[in-house]
Amino acid sequence: MAAAVSIQGLTKTYLDVWSKTEIRAVDNLTLEVEEGEIFGFLGRNGAGKTTTIKMLLGLIFPTLGTATVLGKPIGDTDAKAQVSYLPEEAYFYEGMTGWDTMDFYARLFRIPEPKRSERIRQCLKDVFLDESAWRRPIRGYSKGMRQRIGIAQALINDPKLLFLDEPTSGLDPIAHAELREIIVNVGRQGKTVFLSSHQLPDVELTCSRVAIIHRGKLLTSGKTQELTAGDKVEITFSGGDAALAEKVKAVAGTCEAKNGTCRVPAVDPQKVNDIVDLIRGAKASVVSVVPHRRTLEEVFVDTVMKAGAN
Amino acid sequence: MTASTRRNLIAAIVVLFALTVVLQVRIDPTVADMNQGRKTPFAGLSTEFILGPLLGMQQAVAGLLWVRADEFFHEGDYDAILPMVRIVTWLDPHNLDVYITGAWHLAYNFTDSSERSDRRYIPAAQKLLEEGDANNPGVYDIAFELGWQNTDKIKDYVRAHYWYKKCAEERKGMDERGELTQPVPMFVWHQLAHSLARLGRIDECIAVWRKALAMSTEIVRKDPKDYSKRNVRDSERHNLELTLKRKFSRYQHEIDWELDGKLTKGIDPITGEPRPRDSYLFLNQDEIQRKLEQFKIVGETPPPMAVGQPRPPAVVPKWETAFDVRPTFTADKVLELKGRFNVGDGARVTIRLHDEDWRPPQLKEFTFDIDQNVTLMQDQHSVRQGTWGRKIDMSKDPKMYSFKSPYYFLVFEFDPRGTSPFVHDRFGWSGEGMTDKKYLWEEKEKDPPNRILRKVYRISRAQVLRRTPITEADVFPTAKYVELQTQAQGTRSE
Amino acid sequence: MVTLAIAKQTLEDMLRRKILLILLIVAVAMIALGPSVGFLSPRESSAVLRSLGLAVILLAGLLITVLTGIQVIPTEIERRTVYTVLSKPVQRYEFVLGKFLGGLFTVFVMIASMGIVFIGVLRYQEGRFATEMIQGVMMTFFQMTLLGALAIFFSTFATPVVNFFLSFGLFIVGNMSAVTESLLNNKNVATRLIAGAVHYAIPNFGNFNIQNKLIHPQVVIKDMNVFIMQNIAYALIYSAVLLLLAIIVFDRREV
Repeated sequence: MAAAVSIQGLTKTYLDVWSKTEIRAVDNLTLEVEEGEIFGFLGRNGAGKTTTIKMLLGLIFPTLGTATVLGKPIGDTDAKAQVSYLPEEAYFYEGMTGWDTMDFYARLFRIPEPKRSERIRQCLKDVFLDESAWRRPIRGYSKGMRQRIGIAQALINDPKLLFLDEPTSGLDPIAHAELREIIVNVGRQGKTVFLSSHQLPDVELTCSRVAIIHRGKLLTSGKTQELTAGDKVEITFSGGDAALAEKVKAVAGTCEAKNGTCRVPAVDPQKVNDIVDLIRGAKASVVSVVPHRRTLEEVFVDTVMKAGAN
Repeated sequence: MTASTRRNLIAAIVVLFALTVVLQVRIDPTVADMNQGRKTPFAGLSTEFILGPLLGMQQAVAGLLWVRADEFFHEGDYDAILPMVRIVTWLDPHNLDVYITGAWHLAYNFTDSSERSDRRYIPAAQKLLEEGDANNPGVYDIAFELGWQNTDKIKDYVRAHYWYKKCAEERKGMDERGELTQPVPMFVWHQLAHSLARLGRIDECIAVWRKALAMSTEIVRKDPKDYSKRNVRDSERHNLELTLKRKFSRYQHEIDWELDGKLTKGIDPITGEPRPRDSYLFLNQDEIQRKLEQFKIVGETPPPMAVGQPRPPAVVPKWETAFDVRPTFTADKVLELKGRFNVGDGARVTIRLHDEDWRPPQLKEFTFDIDQNVTLMQDQHSVRQGTWGRKIDMSKDPKMYSFKSPYYFLVFEFDPRGTSPFVHDRFGWSGEGMTDKKYLWEEKEKDPPNRILRKVYRISRAQVLRRTPITEADVFPTAKYVELQTQAQGTRSE
Repeated sequence: MVTLAIAKQTLEDMLRRKILLILLIVAVAMIALGPSVGFLSPRESSAVLRSLGLAVILLAGLLITVLTGIQVIPTEIERRTVYTVLSKPVQRYEFVLGKFLGGLFTVFVMIASMGIVFIGVLRYQEGRFATEMIQGVMMTFFQMTLLGALAIFFSTFATPVVNFFLSFGLFIVGNMSAVTESLLNNKNVATRLIAGAVHYAIPNFGNFNIQNKLIHPQVVIKDMNVFIMQNIAYALIYSAVLLLLAIIVFDRREV
């Protein structure tokens, strides 16, 4: 599958006028996003997520490095026609109605009538925006309604690639869940989603692949499954004597006996067979062999803490 | 944007910019025409009015200032008006009324406590009008005003005629859209004729009346229903006839015309030929037209008068005016005059007192600043039953009459050119019928020469303050006075 | 189409601004009250009425143009609406042009409304249509076109406050063309050079002040129509220069 976004060595530096020092907002970032995947772009506030997206959209210009979007260089109008963007906290012309806002953006995509009205209607329905709000100025919209119209405008051109920057921040739990649902639906339609977020549970639920960025640098990237997969296994067994416990301890390092049940909390996967053999050899019974799984949050905190320590 | 696109754009910018420079060079002369007479937009302005002119709204600021000046006028604060007149005319040099009204204020509205004008402002008034005329070439209004001020206030008929002539011949009136397409109103021609009469140039005066009549006749022919135009035409006929009559009665022969066996007194206003009295009132249009055409063929010279018995000319130097005056200062700076003058009631004697070294100043540029140290008083008084007298109190207005100079000229004058027709009937337009044993002075430099009466005293400050009385020993030769007045003309104002 | 869509959106957005509406109402009221100043002679009052009307249109047009010109682009960036626009298949030049045209439509609507009221007042006052005043209103519009282009150009790199003073300052300097023109013949070479630079390089706003001719028809101009055409050409070409510069600067502008 071709890359929807391909980033090579992208760097953005700013000069801090006060201290005369160079600030690297994005530092030698290399990354690929495959077509059709929902890609989670993780990082703390100020890690360089928005800067990266703005560079990919041609709103700001990289200091070094290149990138392609849908196979075209940054800023290419043909590529832009198939891309859409929902900025963090979507901004609108407050005096315009929801419908007129959609109409304006549709015109920017050069969508002719009557297809335009049709598309607008469809998109507004897709994001569950109440029809009574369509003809009201955005000034009176709630936060959730704004976010919906933001997504709707991002869908107006039936894009192949969506950049969503912190789409769920500041939403109440129900709106939050609905929005997550919308994003998953978009992904099901085969669209590529570049989701920047620090709402880790969302990302874990929706994204097939993630990258973690910290202080402009890419720390890690990979399939969500793989990242959260643990590298240790926990073995519990019952029965067996103290000698068995000693033997297991010698192999695994620890063995905690309690009420006739022993727990070996962290076993290297390659030693699992040896330990199981030992247990079976001692006529004790294996209660469970459970691989460790971490939450994405744990992975994120671990990774970022490690990077911070360095 | 690629580098080559940017290069092309910059090239386009350079080309387009060069084009704007070319256009600017083309535009400049027209802008200069438009701003003619306008000073640096913010010269002499108080800060509150600077923003407007900077933003290109000179006219509006000028308009508002002028409205304000009008309020000052109604409050009687004339001093406040003058700087505003200056600024308004700088900002908006095409507002004719500002020049005209401003000059009127200058010439008429500054007075002493006895309502005598402060004549020190007259050169400024004239200069302001001249500036306005120069800034608005082609428009008749200001030239006319110059003529009028010289006639009415200054009594300088040479200059009055100069401006009326310019006005009638070189200026135009505005139509309702304000375009300069209209001939000047007929009253300009009337004033031109009157100014010629004031200069004693009667034949030219008659020629102007004829011309005016011809023009009005044409106007009436085009628009026969407009009675105001008819009135103008009829008054021109009347004036032409009157002037012809006066000319013949004063200078040639008083004639009782006998025509077709009937006694007539009328003179055809168009041909100058005698015809039944007032019969022109009954002329029909065709007849007038025919006469007009005849007039054109004949030209401006009327045919010779050959009918009737000539009498000796009425106006000969035979009338002894016995002009004289005795001035006395009865209190400090209070001048009392007792005069005699053998002339008809209503003729006016001009009284003038001024610094010995004062000359009528010639201003290079308009300024409303006057020399406060100059003393210049002018008044006039009319004669009743051969005598005249006046008390002139100059003690109440020290600003106007500062008496800073050690010596003064006190002048008494009678100029027949400024007088009324019944005096002319005796003396002629140029005083030909007038004689005086003591004070007759012939202005030979004028064409035709003019005979005036003038008595001049040279008095000292001590005499003004009654330290010593004025006697006939203080009488100063007119010839020398005239010489002094013309010699150093204008030096005072430098 | 994209440019026009942006222009339309800009116009609607500007027309919703209360400040512009208030300006318009005040200006129209001043024009309508103009005749009440007329206690002077008929010719004077006509001149005052005309100069006042043109001045009010100029002043209101000036404020509207500057307020619009310095705002249209920075507001987009400040409110971050520019993100959603420029991330769409919109060329940056289309955005600049759209914003400029939108601002210009706004100025046009305002000046045209004032102009119609002004000519209506003159019609009521003088009993005829003062069609020549259309020239004055038109010249003000083109003057404002040039000023708007200038403000748009500055807005691609200056903050609105700085831009306000830059645009106003250059408008004032550009209005002194009569002064700079007369200095072109100055004896001092340095003065001549500076005057020349100011006269030809800075947009010459003084060119458009034809009130003098309109209020005092006796002012003699060789050919008014040619002069007007020259001025319109000047305004359009100079505006094009400024817009191209704005496009070049904005092309590299980070938003």
